[in-house]
Amino acid sequence: MTKIVALALQIVPGDARPIFRQIVDGIREDIANGKLPVGSKLPSVRGLAMQLTVNANTIAKAYNELVCQGLLESHKGLGMFIAKPTQLLSDEAQENCLKAAIASFNNAVMYLDYSAEEMTEQLLNELKKLNRD
Amino acid sequence: MTEYTVKTHGLTKQFGTKIALNALDLQIEKGGIHALIGSNGAGKSTLFRILLGFETPTSGSSTLLDIDSQALTPEMRGKIGYVNEEHTLPNWMNAASLTKMQKKLYPLWNQNVYDNVIENFDVAPDQKIAGLSRGERAGLNLATALAQSPELLILDEPTLGLDVVAKQAFLEALLFIGTENESTIIYCSHQMEEIERVADSLIILERGEVKNQSTPDDFCERIQYWIANFYGKAPDINDIKAALSVKNIEGQTHIICLDQQIGYREYLASIGASDAVEVPINLDNAVNAFLAKNHKRSQSKLIVGA
Repeated sequence: MTKIVALALQIVPGDARPIFRQIVDGIREDIANGKLPVGSKLPSVRGLAMQLTVNANTIAKAYNELVCQGLLESHKGLGMFIAKPTQLLSDEAQENCLKAAIASFNNAVMYLDYSAEEMTEQLLNELKKLNRD
Repeated sequence: MTEYTVKTHGLTKQFGTKIALNALDLQIEKGGIHALIGSNGAGKSTLFRILLGFETPTSGSSTLLDIDSQALTPEMRGKIGYVNEEHTLPNWMNAASLTKMQKKLYPLWNQNVYDNVIENFDVAPDQKIAGLSRGERAGLNLATALAQSPELLILDEPTLGLDVVAKQAFLEALLFIGTENESTIIYCSHQMEEIERVADSLIILERGEVKNQSTPDDFCERIQYWIANFYGKAPDINDIKAALSVKNIEGQTHIICLDQQIGYREYLASIGASDAVEVPINLDNAVNAFLAKNHKRSQSKLIVGA
């Protein structure tokens, strides 16, 4: 049986995002930074609910959304797994998504003392970790 | 069998000229954790007293577990658990003698549930109840209430005054042990963080009427938070459509409004706002704004009346 990965999620009380959104964002982040490689088995709905002390329906809602986004897949009787990357967005939605990501990247780095070349190099290294061919 | 644990139809209760419940139509589905909130005086206690048959309604009717509230037998009452913030327990007993008594009183007593819940709290069987801390009393109270396998469990501010450890233990026990025996739980609390974590549905009671019944997330989506600039004078709250609260902070107008998912930016522009930006709002602030609006309204009414 596949081992369940440990999810390092934290629910922040008072966060303006609802709890299911915090879970969706947290898992997306861990997929992006390589902590959750393709094929990783996630805790069950009840297991994660117990870990976070959150109603199981909230976890189910977060998992469902991630399935709709194509990041998770449910294998009947086996559990929930990180899916192979597939593109579910339209060209336009994809372009908007990329633009938003670049804008927030710019926002985060604008006062840092790095040249554009230095940042690009590091960014490129990170992008390679996403395992895309 | 029971589709709804609680059903009220046109339930009204008047104390003199004060209307505590105003033709209340409320249906609470069987199973799950239902958070019931409302400002003080919203009618929660009156509702419980009528539901449990301790008070007669002025008009309308209510059923609890499919039985008319006014005709509840002691046997039916045995299927209803109640835990409040006082955690009233017989001080002269110890935990073991209390559970022994409970076993005799409740035919559906589930020792497994009791053991699993009490495990989260530091209560020894021979410990005298009078000597327990507030958190331990709460644990013992919840453990006994859940082990009675009630069909309906009413929790009235059960975590009030508990420290973080006891609160966490209480919520864990409630979420993962209580739900196993398919009890319906009505959870009254003012702690939105808890409600957001545990509740399947959020029922908001206000001046004796149901103002919301949905998941906490869906309620949050009904409330929008806008920040806009009104150069010159910002309009009065009563002149802004659907506004629950309007605050001026450093020259900017912060507006919290209800059920305006579409077209509000254009609306704000039409009344003279520029650069309106929508920002996220959490459940705590959303509920506050929702309840505060009518708080003020009823206050101003009082002044007019006086």
